[in-house]
Amino acid sequence: MSGLLTQEFTVNMGPHHPSTHGVCRLILTMDGEKVVKIEPVIGYLHRSMEKICENRTYAQCVPLMDRFEYVTAMSAEYVFVNAVEKLAEIEVPERAEYLRVIMLELNRIASHLIFYGATAMDIGALTPFIYGLRERELIIDLFEMTCGQRLTYNYMKIGGVSHDIPKEFIPKCREAVKIIGEKMSDYEGLLNENPIWLARTKNVGVLPTDLAKAYGVSGPVLRASGVKYDIRKNDPYSIYDRFDFNIPCRHNGDSYDRYLLRLDEIRESLKIIIQALDGLPEGDTLKKVNPFNFKPPAGEMYSRIENSRGEMGVYIISDGTTKPLRVKMRGSSYNHVQVLPKVATGVLIADLVATFATLDVIMPEVDR
Amino acid sequence: MTGDELKEYIVGHLEGKLKPLESGKHDPLFEVQESDLLTVAQVLRDDENLKFDFLSCISGVDTGERFEIVYSLASLANNLRIDLKVVLSREKPEVESVQEIWPAANWYEREIWELYGFDIKNHGNLTRFLLADDWDQGYPMRKDWDAPDFVRFPELER
Amino acid sequence: MILATAELIGIFQWLHGFLVDLGLKEPWLSIVVYCLLSVTVFGVLCLIALFLVWWERKIAGHIQQRFGPMRNGWHGWYQTVMDALKLLQKEDIRVDTRDKAVFFWAPVICFVAAFMAYIVIPFGKGLIVADLNIGILYIIAITTFTVISLLMAGWGSHNKYALLGGMRSAAQVVSYEVPMVASILTVIIFSGSLSMVDISNSQQGNLIFNWFIFRPPFGIIAFITYIIAATAEANRTPFDIPEAEQELVAGFNIEYSGMKFAMFFLAEFVNMFTVSAIATTLFLGGWNGPLLPSWLWFLIKTLLVVLLLMVFRWTFPRLRVDQLMEFAWKFLVPVTFANLILAGWMKYAGWYW
Repeated sequence: MSGLLTQEFTVNMGPHHPSTHGVCRLILTMDGEKVVKIEPVIGYLHRSMEKICENRTYAQCVPLMDRFEYVTAMSAEYVFVNAVEKLAEIEVPERAEYLRVIMLELNRIASHLIFYGATAMDIGALTPFIYGLRERELIIDLFEMTCGQRLTYNYMKIGGVSHDIPKEFIPKCREAVKIIGEKMSDYEGLLNENPIWLARTKNVGVLPTDLAKAYGVSGPVLRASGVKYDIRKNDPYSIYDRFDFNIPCRHNGDSYDRYLLRLDEIRESLKIIIQALDGLPEGDTLKKVNPFNFKPPAGEMYSRIENSRGEMGVYIISDGTTKPLRVKMRGSSYNHVQVLPKVATGVLIADLVATFATLDVIMPEVDR
Repeated sequence: MTGDELKEYIVGHLEGKLKPLESGKHDPLFEVQESDLLTVAQVLRDDENLKFDFLSCISGVDTGERFEIVYSLASLANNLRIDLKVVLSREKPEVESVQEIWPAANWYEREIWELYGFDIKNHGNLTRFLLADDWDQGYPMRKDWDAPDFVRFPELER
Repeated sequence: MILATAELIGIFQWLHGFLVDLGLKEPWLSIVVYCLLSVTVFGVLCLIALFLVWWERKIAGHIQQRFGPMRNGWHGWYQTVMDALKLLQKEDIRVDTRDKAVFFWAPVICFVAAFMAYIVIPFGKGLIVADLNIGILYIIAITTFTVISLLMAGWGSHNKYALLGGMRSAAQVVSYEVPMVASILTVIIFSGSLSMVDISNSQQGNLIFNWFIFRPPFGIIAFITYIIAATAEANRTPFDIPEAEQELVAGFNIEYSGMKFAMFFLAEFVNMFTVSAIATTLFLGGWNGPLLPSWLWFLIKTLLVVLLLMVFRWTFPRLRVDQLMEFAWKFLVPVTFANLILAGWMKYAGWYW
């Protein structure tokens, strides 16, 4: 090939694109079909949430946290509410804790179903998207039954949860769990052993373990690279230490492992929900605090939980007034977009799309 | 090890470079001088019993009187968590980059450079990030900055 | 009795006779006859293309557990007509920096090339516009025309995405021509003639066991490799790299809007019908079959093959471009050539029925 003059050209996988999940702009320098350099440009969804939170009372920050990560809004609210309750040393009633765990795990399953559909769609199989969303409708109906909302819930309050579950919730929840458990074999049968799927995702976008730890990658991406670390087990919050579940872990770090791992996690979440439903105690669901005059004592802490995407954290500094001094939101997708150039350079565009899809990035977490 | 043991171990191993603060409510919080930051970070990452190889988050803080940067660290192998705080001067806030030790710091430092105006030495890529490419209206996250069309609601000032 | 009259045999002779009675002479007679037949075939094909678009949306819907179009007519049967009317009213956006002639002629060439293949396809017994004795060779030559139109679309749009899409599609179609032609040659060896009517005729009789697909082992292998190569020729998933929406945002037809886009779109469906019609004629016995009229058999068999291609699209993910080329050259080409040699040897040794 010597003597053949070629030239690299720049392609913009712009903010409007079907497969950058949200508004992320990737400036690609390409040599033919190969990607030589990736530069992510973010900030298209920057809403200055952290500055807004400094001018709101603690109760008013909760709906803002919904919008911080709207796919798993329950986790986003929970991480903030958890931080405030720990600072103010508020004791949350038992029933509220169980309800919170049920909602968090249902949200995790919904997020993983969206991942399944969106990843399959990016790689070209158009049907699993509909299947994933069909099952997610069961979960969204449960949320609507409880708090009236399908996507941004405003459900967690400082001191408990805002609504108690209606009577129909428990049988419908059990039925939804049963249906999703049965459909998992459909999902796996469609794609897991498919030679085209294997060719597109095996050994694609391999993330070595030390690179993953160095770049602060967390959640399923880290567990697919061989590090068995889950905040629910290693640093338990809420009442997760009462439930019996496994942490799946895989070792290759390629896209196929990340995909399989999230399907395994759906199964584990189903187990947790059943255990929580079985052990749900009676009682009240909210320990009321005055939303207008709530002043936690001065202090600061970093609260983190295991979101479906990875570690989601909130660093709160309280100065004893009704408004927080600083709310720093940490989303796991921020680190994942940062690690993308290291993982997906030197591959073809199709592999870049597959890698980006399995990293499961959500732009509101990145831009805030 | 538990929180208090961890505090003693760290303070003991770092010969007074770290000062534990009371305001850290859930996990140990230490204050470190800006000049000692890199040595402390190296020891924290490499010591066998600590192994803080996971940088969760770097937050910039403006308390109204002074600037601070908080590094939230975690140890994956030993299940530990601490926070490190660096206090910066108001007139000339600058700090060394820790991306040699924790490469994840790259984007976090870029963000606090852009939103707070802290000068990060040896970073190499301090360019426009979250804000618009032609932003020239100051550092938004500072407490003395208001957007030109920002409206204050008196009933929220309690 | 009714079924017999629906046979439509001899329509060529009838038309010929009618025009002779009107007083036309050669060469005008031939010209008028062929023009009339071509226009009829064109009209029928447009209707078939409209039907196929609706059918694809219904199949996609039912595979995905939803209904597909339901509002325009009973189960949405005239949805495509409404879509075509809508596309006619759209603004024809033309990029300033385009290559004007190339940009204009690309959809025209695509559309025309798609329809030209139907001159030699037998829709039933005696229902063929022109029975060329090089029938199948003519079709192979014409279906390669679409490559030039895709390249023109990619180049003329002055857009990197379109260029990438055009390049990929050219590479893909040219690569998959080889196994397709080798599969077709396998059938030619046994039928002994390139004419489509002769190939259909040689599959007559003996219930369905004279069909070339049922002559193992070369028949079934040739059919499978032909279907795979035909899916790639028609740019359908799993080989739809040129129009991979998720990677290149519609690839080569990204800058086309309105009726120009509709031409590419319809040409894709007509191409799909073409490759299915060839599969039917070569492997599934063409218009042969008991009881029903021959054109109805042809239609049913072709629509079954089209259904297979549609189910492929909505089930499988998409191959990466280098995997696609590797599959063509390293797997399909050796297999089809081995099959061809085997078939040739079987014919020479007389081991077939």
